[in-house]
Amino acid sequence: MTGPLAGLRVLELADEKGQFCGKLLGDLGADVVKIEPPGGEPCRRVGPFLDDVPHPERSLSFWYYNTSKRGITLGLESADGRSLFRRLAAAADVVLETFRPGFLPSLGLDYESLSEQNPGLILCSLTPFGQTGPWRDYLTSDLLHMAAGGEMASCGYDEADVANASPIAPGGGNAWHMGCHFAYMAIMAALVHRTMAGQGQCIDVSIHEACALTTESAVANYIYRGEVLRRQTGRHHAVGVTPRTQFRAKDGTYVTALIAGGLNPKNVANLAALMDKYGLAGDLKDPKYQDAAVVTANALHIIDGVLAHFIASLPAEEVYHAAQERGFTWGAVRAPEALLEDAHLHDRGFWKQVDHPELGRSFTYPGEAAIFNGSPWQISKRAPLIGEHNVEIFCEELGLSRGELSVLAESRVI
Amino acid sequence: MLQPRALEGIRVVDFSWVRAGPWATRWLGAFGAEIIKIEWPETERGRLPSSTTPQNLEVNLNTSGNFADTNVNKKSLSLNVRTPKGLEVVKRLIALSDIVIENFSSRVLHKWGLGYPELCKIKPDVVYVSMSGYGHTGRNHHYTTFGPVAQAVSGLTHLSGLPGVPPAGWGWSYMDDTGGMYGAMCALTGLYHRNKTGQGQHIDQAQMVSSIPLNGPALLDFTVNGRGSNRAGFPPGNRAHWPDKPLVNNYRGPTVAPHNAYRTDPGGYNDWCVIVCQSDEEWRRLVQVMGAPAWAAAEKFTTLAGRLQHQDELDAQIERWTLTLDKYAVTERCQDAGVRALPVQSAEDRVENDPQLRHREMYLPMQHPALGTHKVQNAPFKLSATPAVNHLPAPLIGQHTQEIVEGLLGYSHRDLQDGFDNGIFWPAQRARFPYLEDMIR
Repeated sequence: MTGPLAGLRVLELADEKGQFCGKLLGDLGADVVKIEPPGGEPCRRVGPFLDDVPHPERSLSFWYYNTSKRGITLGLESADGRSLFRRLAAAADVVLETFRPGFLPSLGLDYESLSEQNPGLILCSLTPFGQTGPWRDYLTSDLLHMAAGGEMASCGYDEADVANASPIAPGGGNAWHMGCHFAYMAIMAALVHRTMAGQGQCIDVSIHEACALTTESAVANYIYRGEVLRRQTGRHHAVGVTPRTQFRAKDGTYVTALIAGGLNPKNVANLAALMDKYGLAGDLKDPKYQDAAVVTANALHIIDGVLAHFIASLPAEEVYHAAQERGFTWGAVRAPEALLEDAHLHDRGFWKQVDHPELGRSFTYPGEAAIFNGSPWQISKRAPLIGEHNVEIFCEELGLSRGELSVLAESRVI
Repeated sequence: MLQPRALEGIRVVDFSWVRAGPWATRWLGAFGAEIIKIEWPETERGRLPSSTTPQNLEVNLNTSGNFADTNVNKKSLSLNVRTPKGLEVVKRLIALSDIVIENFSSRVLHKWGLGYPELCKIKPDVVYVSMSGYGHTGRNHHYTTFGPVAQAVSGLTHLSGLPGVPPAGWGWSYMDDTGGMYGAMCALTGLYHRNKTGQGQHIDQAQMVSSIPLNGPALLDFTVNGRGSNRAGFPPGNRAHWPDKPLVNNYRGPTVAPHNAYRTDPGGYNDWCVIVCQSDEEWRRLVQVMGAPAWAAAEKFTTLAGRLQHQDELDAQIERWTLTLDKYAVTERCQDAGVRALPVQSAEDRVENDPQLRHREMYLPMQHPALGTHKVQNAPFKLSATPAVNHLPAPLIGQHTQEIVEGLLGYSHRDLQDGFDNGIFWPAQRARFPYLEDMIR
């Protein structure tokens, strides 16, 4: 079976801002051709590196974000480069680009001229602020987007945990993920429209706006009630202080333990049953807790006393599974590497072995976000080496001779 | 004024509730699909409890501000699917629809008699997207999630915070927002595939699983290099690296300094600005913006290695300068000189003070029948031929029951009235809103 996007040709001209979107398209079956500048995309210089040896073919970050793509090198600054790009764009379904606004038009590669030869073309520009506005040309980074988008204003610490803490930007490069998710949606909507109307279009996606949309109710709290929320350790931003939900387990890691619907006699009885299995129910079996008023009056004792002690007495994974089996929506706070041991993920076939034939090795990669039962979402191949598919694309597809390819390489067009 | 919309003519049966599912269908609606939200006032989760009802209004099923923003571009059908007649109605609706989407626990739709094989009998090419916590397969499929739990179990929480103290985590359900993204992405992908091949399918999206690919480089550092994230100096807060700890990439981008948040004038709760210099050249520009202070000329700050090693002093000195200006002034001076800087922005800042979001019309007012006129969040993408715009305010509960039951499905007005009396379209004993009384006159 082929992926749901089989048959789709995507040209990706993307750096750290858009490479994840290209990966999504590629892993879902599209033929994504990554066009890198001669010598390779600068993201190849971002670590960590294989065996900590820095090299453009050893960036694990580049590996991860560029699976299921083919790769060619092509500089757009030369007339030869632009001409080759035009030929590729004439046969493409989607062009994804993350250049600064105005760059492609300055080379004569604006949507109008590209779509003249290919009216079905979808051109998606994914940029920090979109194509217009006073901040359009501002420089950014993941951290900058997490600040202006509002993520940092919602993340941080209780005063008791870290006095005077700054707002905290969660790690992992998620500003780029947020932009790529919205870009992917917009591209797919345009593609669906094209299946019905036949026409392509251009799309202007703003990473800043994507981030600004990704803080759950913070904007609604302000718009409807004028409230500005405060940061708390390991739990939701809130107007006032809410009970803590992150507790240290015996092994030094943490458990996220929320009581759905808040404390009441029924929940306390369930908690007592869960903890009693380990002889750790404290006084929660006392019939007095069948009285809602008594539960409310003793909330601090129940949460910060009995519950915290229960979690502190057991490994986090044990608390997590025991609680979930009893219907509590709790989770162990895991380091990513702990996921390799997760039996549920193995049942779902989540981890994928990806061959790196040039190294004679294969490595375990995280797989797909969802299971497509009719057309699989799955990694088809490792990230391309620099210019790996130049011959395939320029010679076999566009019909250039090996001699012409050599000339282009000598003049650094490819 | 009517412009074509990308998903014109696509109909979605939306069983979703709370946040992740409704956030998914919000975007399908923005693209022009007809979203029919199936709700039942007795078991509804998303409208109540409400902590976002304006102070001057009564809290009820129609006055949650957060629900109103999350559910624009949808219609509401009030229907008890747990009755034979209700099931018949929803089956007739599914037969006329393209997508079925829900975010219940893994066995709920199946128990209702609406599992994928049954859906296929009603609508052979249906695109069915289930958005559960752990998915429909795997030994833990019956486990449940909230955003914070999915974030904890998947490793996302661990990547946020300062070293040596508990994780700061994410201050909201990032995986409700992002789970919603994946729900919408899966629905659109399934729809495209159906339009190309004529084949529908069941797409099994899981909030906990969808979180994991967001940790890719950290996971590869472990599976390839054997290096875990449980290590000294990780996570390094807002920095790219924690001083005096091994120099290892932290999965956010290049390892550089300065790379931090700095207090700004007047020192309020959200008066912070972030500054990042990704090269010596950007650092030299920042030095000029700061007025070329003597401390910045010290040799230890002229090299990246020196700046990384002496970050505590570097950050303290930079903050002495940022404290003299407000966060927008720091931003403007830095950016005008080619230095990466942006303000930490609260929701109020984004809605009121952000000149870029204002220029892009991110928050435009919309009238809602119970809440009045309020700003609603717009789309972050501009499609030239098929703009994604908010075209319907969030529905009152059951607001479109007559339109759908009589207009679309062809039941009689008498059927509608009977359904309100016998607990199909509204609980028989529950008080009806005036618009529902009008509907069954």
